[in-house]
Amino acid sequence: MDIESLKVNEYKKKVKKGYMWAIFSALLWGIWYIPGTVIWTLNPFDTMSIDIGLSHGDTAALIVTAILISAFSAAMIIITLGLWNLVTGKFKEIKRTAVQFKSCSKWFILAAVCGGPLAIFGSYLAMGFVGGAFAAVASLLFPVVSSIVANRWYGEKITRRAAIGIFLIIIGGVSIYIGGMVTEMMAEGVRWLGYAGGAMAALGFGLEGAVAGKGIDLAEPDAGLYVRFLAEATMWWFIIIPILLILGFPMLTYALAVFEPLTLLVLVFIGLSFGYCYAACYKAFPLIGVGRGQGVANLYGLCAVIFILLFMGDFPGWTLLVGGALCLIGSTVMYSENVSEEAIRV
Amino acid sequence: MVQTEVAMEAYNAFWVNGLVPYSEYLWMITILVISLLALWQARVFIRDF
Repeated sequence: MDIESLKVNEYKKKVKKGYMWAIFSALLWGIWYIPGTVIWTLNPFDTMSIDIGLSHGDTAALIVTAILISAFSAAMIIITLGLWNLVTGKFKEIKRTAVQFKSCSKWFILAAVCGGPLAIFGSYLAMGFVGGAFAAVASLLFPVVSSIVANRWYGEKITRRAAIGIFLIIIGGVSIYIGGMVTEMMAEGVRWLGYAGGAMAALGFGLEGAVAGKGIDLAEPDAGLYVRFLAEATMWWFIIIPILLILGFPMLTYALAVFEPLTLLVLVFIGLSFGYCYAACYKAFPLIGVGRGQGVANLYGLCAVIFILLFMGDFPGWTLLVGGALCLIGSTVMYSENVSEEAIRV
Repeated sequence: MVQTEVAMEAYNAFWVNGLVPYSEYLWMITILVISLLALWQARVFIRDF
């Protein structure tokens, strides 16, 4: 076998692995909406939202509860990703990545800002206010954001096929939002914060995709991801929660009350599903490219709807189904792009 | 903090309409199985590349 054939075989093997990681990411991301939804009903979060609702109003209560859930989610992901790095033997890389601030870790810290307080927090808001299926489908818009940002920021060309995909995803997104809001306007009034949370999730995950793409160019993905979650947990536990404490919210009382077997168990499954979904996603990007990686990982919307239907029996409304289907077709169009059509960063 | 009766009722209500039997346990088992498969593949990936 000559060198060219070896190179082709190696490339094919890498692409195959890349798709495998993107599918793992879609499955784990999809199933995350189950523990992410049920955690709202468990104590201390349930009691917390009721108590704070009585003193500060329902909206403030749900926002503050979503912050505490996001903070515990980040802490749990640090533990589960610690196990991941132990198995893959990447602990030394973490320190090496973290200390290289200028070239490397600044991108992961920025990714943490976009992914944590914007995307993950927005997802929990959407799950708490509207529901798991809506939260999952609303985030399907994220490849549109990352493509536009990558185009404007580091000149990644948007091909005709990618533009068609973006158009389909936007139409799907509009159908998801408008359909749900019109139904609610006719019934009980719109849960604006839940819809804002869905938009925050799409914007945050999209921005994170573009920012992380810069970091992964230089760093080992597992180590980079660990740095990203360390930064996110630092933001929640050392900046946002202390600010809420100063504002008079009893955050520590409820944070210390989390040590209850069922609550901890659900948090562990949040850590496993979302932590490993991220690990798989960060592994897929360097192997098949951010565009294709996001295209396949976007199957998480379909996975979420299937898992929610199987385990909870919730059938999404027809506007969600039509919108979700359009988003999936759009993602498939984006991902099926020919390699030669793909643009190179300038 | 112990789970209140209301919290447990709301938690159990999630699984009542599940299409698969033992939904309240099966979602956890599904996450465990996919996570363990991913961990095993991460190990294989390190060995191969």
